[in-house]
Amino acid sequence: MDGPDPDVMSPKWVTADYLGSATPLFWLGLRTSLLTLLTLGLYRFWARTRVRRYFWSSITLEGDPLEYTGKGLEKFLGFLIAVAFLAVYLGIFQLILSFLGLSVFSADETGEFGGALQLAWTQASLILIVPFIFYAQYRARRYVLSRTQWRGIRFGAEPAAWGYVWRALGHWIVTIISLGLLAPRMVFWLEKYRVDRTWFGNTRFEQGGTWTMLYPAMRHIFIAFALLAIGALLIFGLQSGFSVLFFMVGGVWVYFGLVYFRVESFRILAQHKSLGDIGFKSTVRPSEIFWTQILGGVLASAVAGLFFGVLFGMSVGILGTVTDLEGAAEQFFETGLETVQPQVWLGFAAMIVSYLLFLLLYGVFLMIFVIQPILERYVKATLIENAGALEDVEQRLRDDMVEAEGFADALDVGPAI
Amino acid sequence: MTFGTKVPAKYFDGVKARSHAATATLIQMPDGDVLQIAVEGGKVLYWGAKDLRELQDQAGSGGIVLSHSEFPSARLVISDKGAADMIRKVGVNLGRQDRAPGTWRKVMGWGGAAVGSVVLLIFVIIPALSDTMAGLIPAEQEAALGRGTLRQIENLLGADEDGLACSTTAGDAALAKMTRRVLGDLDPGYDLNVQVFDNSMVNAFAVPGGNIVLFQGLIDASDTPEEVAAVLAHEIGHVVKRDPTRLALRSAGSVGILGLMLGDFAGGALMLILAERLIAASYSQEAEAAADRFAFDRMRAAGLPVEPFAVFFEKLQAEHGSTPSLLSHLASHPDLAARAAAARDAAQDIGDFTPVLSPSEWDALKTICKG
Repeated sequence: MDGPDPDVMSPKWVTADYLGSATPLFWLGLRTSLLTLLTLGLYRFWARTRVRRYFWSSITLEGDPLEYTGKGLEKFLGFLIAVAFLAVYLGIFQLILSFLGLSVFSADETGEFGGALQLAWTQASLILIVPFIFYAQYRARRYVLSRTQWRGIRFGAEPAAWGYVWRALGHWIVTIISLGLLAPRMVFWLEKYRVDRTWFGNTRFEQGGTWTMLYPAMRHIFIAFALLAIGALLIFGLQSGFSVLFFMVGGVWVYFGLVYFRVESFRILAQHKSLGDIGFKSTVRPSEIFWTQILGGVLASAVAGLFFGVLFGMSVGILGTVTDLEGAAEQFFETGLETVQPQVWLGFAAMIVSYLLFLLLYGVFLMIFVIQPILERYVKATLIENAGALEDVEQRLRDDMVEAEGFADALDVGPAI
Repeated sequence: MTFGTKVPAKYFDGVKARSHAATATLIQMPDGDVLQIAVEGGKVLYWGAKDLRELQDQAGSGGIVLSHSEFPSARLVISDKGAADMIRKVGVNLGRQDRAPGTWRKVMGWGGAAVGSVVLLIFVIIPALSDTMAGLIPAEQEAALGRGTLRQIENLLGADEDGLACSTTAGDAALAKMTRRVLGDLDPGYDLNVQVFDNSMVNAFAVPGGNIVLFQGLIDASDTPEEVAAVLAHEIGHVVKRDPTRLALRSAGSVGILGLMLGDFAGGALMLILAERLIAASYSQEAEAAADRFAFDRMRAAGLPVEPFAVFFEKLQAEHGSTPSLLSHLASHPDLAARAAAARDAAQDIGDFTPVLSPSEWDALKTICKG
């Protein structure tokens, strides 16, 4: 397919398309998850890479797919680098924190209050890791962008992670102090920082607009809080029975409000993004995403649960044929495998395997019932204005990024896909 | 597609984001097949079959996306399934990964650094730091911590508000006498608080800060007061070395690093627990063996025979068997047979000795939970 006739100056809107489907993704997900389990987690870098290749190549613009050029070995190397640096730091860090927890917070005689304080201390100490989490997240995004290309031209992000770290810290502090009311300000400015430093080939993206434009996206969060506030007032008022109703509805509404904010703010921000002369628009709807997430999640649990039920039932059946189960268990622990009937350890092994398979299947089903459908909706709702101008974008230099997204992998704060 | 037929294709030159229409033809050549690519605008490229690389795990039906090993940015997309299958037949190196020279050396190097880092941490840094820090915690703090832990253990064992501790005047006096005899002139560093819990387990333990618990079951399983004294000496060994605190700190440090390494995957939590137990077990077995040696020294210093300690282990072994080798790595204590053998080695015939408790005191101790 050729691009449009360059003499035609009027802007034209094109939509992106999504090619992926459930069956091939299911088998890919199942294969890679099994290999990950069998290699005790070592294969997970290659598994992630393969799944990303599938997702990226599902997204097409003007008939041409995105390409993920990352390699599993590269991701693994990044992880090794991160471990080499972080191991000593984190291990000593944890130790010092436990020591401080033990010596500063003395347990009182009942032991319960002290235990709670200690728990709070361990959670609070995570705050000291937060700057590294922001650093790792920016670097991971930069890596994934540098390994994404379309029509052979690379995307990229500038090396600006430390600038991101102190901005993110500052914005989070302001947001927390404002009890969340200034969240749109944080969302906008951090998005702008990231987007203004994102490139496609030799052309830079830009985030326009103002932070106040995101307030309409907060509407359902405000409604939810109003409901919760009414519920609280009713407790002190007369109708304490109704207050439970308001709390329940308010709780669910908060969840919907968060999804609504995420989707709506994405939509509004997309409308004000530009890439040179190219503009963007998104027609994604929050309710669609919300219901896909809920129903997909339920479906994933149900189907995985069904498999688990069958396998678990079989293993219970095997164990059921053993007459003295407690005696057999004692025998196993004292004298080892040789003297115990095969049904016993077969039954126990089957139980463990069925549990592991359940976890594995649940992850794969989440991919095909939640992640892929949501990605598909976002992609198909994407509109690009003046796409013809993309043809003039030139290649950018390869961003080496030896440590890949290793720090994000190690701290477990990497991208969702 | 056969040799000589032209198929439509799309070509991206990797210089600009423009799609070029092209036709691709497979040509048989004496020194290897070649894919001839005629791009619109007149350019003709020749890609050798052995230089072709296929993009893996692509969505979309049929078709093939090709790159060239020497021109990593260029792409050729062929949608026709027949052509794709033909190319897969002639492309001998389609799945080969072209790595920059020195990649494997980098992986080995950083792999070694990562492993070295973790090993250094788990076997040198964490133990050393835990030991130092355990020494820095104020003793009163530890004692309070220990009392809190005791409460939690009592709740776990199903105690009511009165707790599980047994106490009779005669029993307490016997226990105190035994403690004084075993301690001798050693300063344990804490105010020792020895109690008997009303529970049938044949066990004893120490919590931070000088709190030691003997279970009624252990006293019942002992034929002579010297056996109980040996176990008490072992527990005092834990107290003196601040083992409970040290080992808790070590576990805290190693859990963090293990979580880092194992990452997030289905079944990962199970692996983490297993790995953490293995490491905790190795720290713990070392501490238990040291506590056994401490007990031997204390018994000798108090003029008591070490042999009852060996007898005690041998009795337990006869009842419960040895740990199967599979599980011995997970056990918190060294194998019973090994402990009995070590005790036998340390035992000397000391001839007559003053019993640690008189027969009436021994009876008082045995009935301490009946008061």
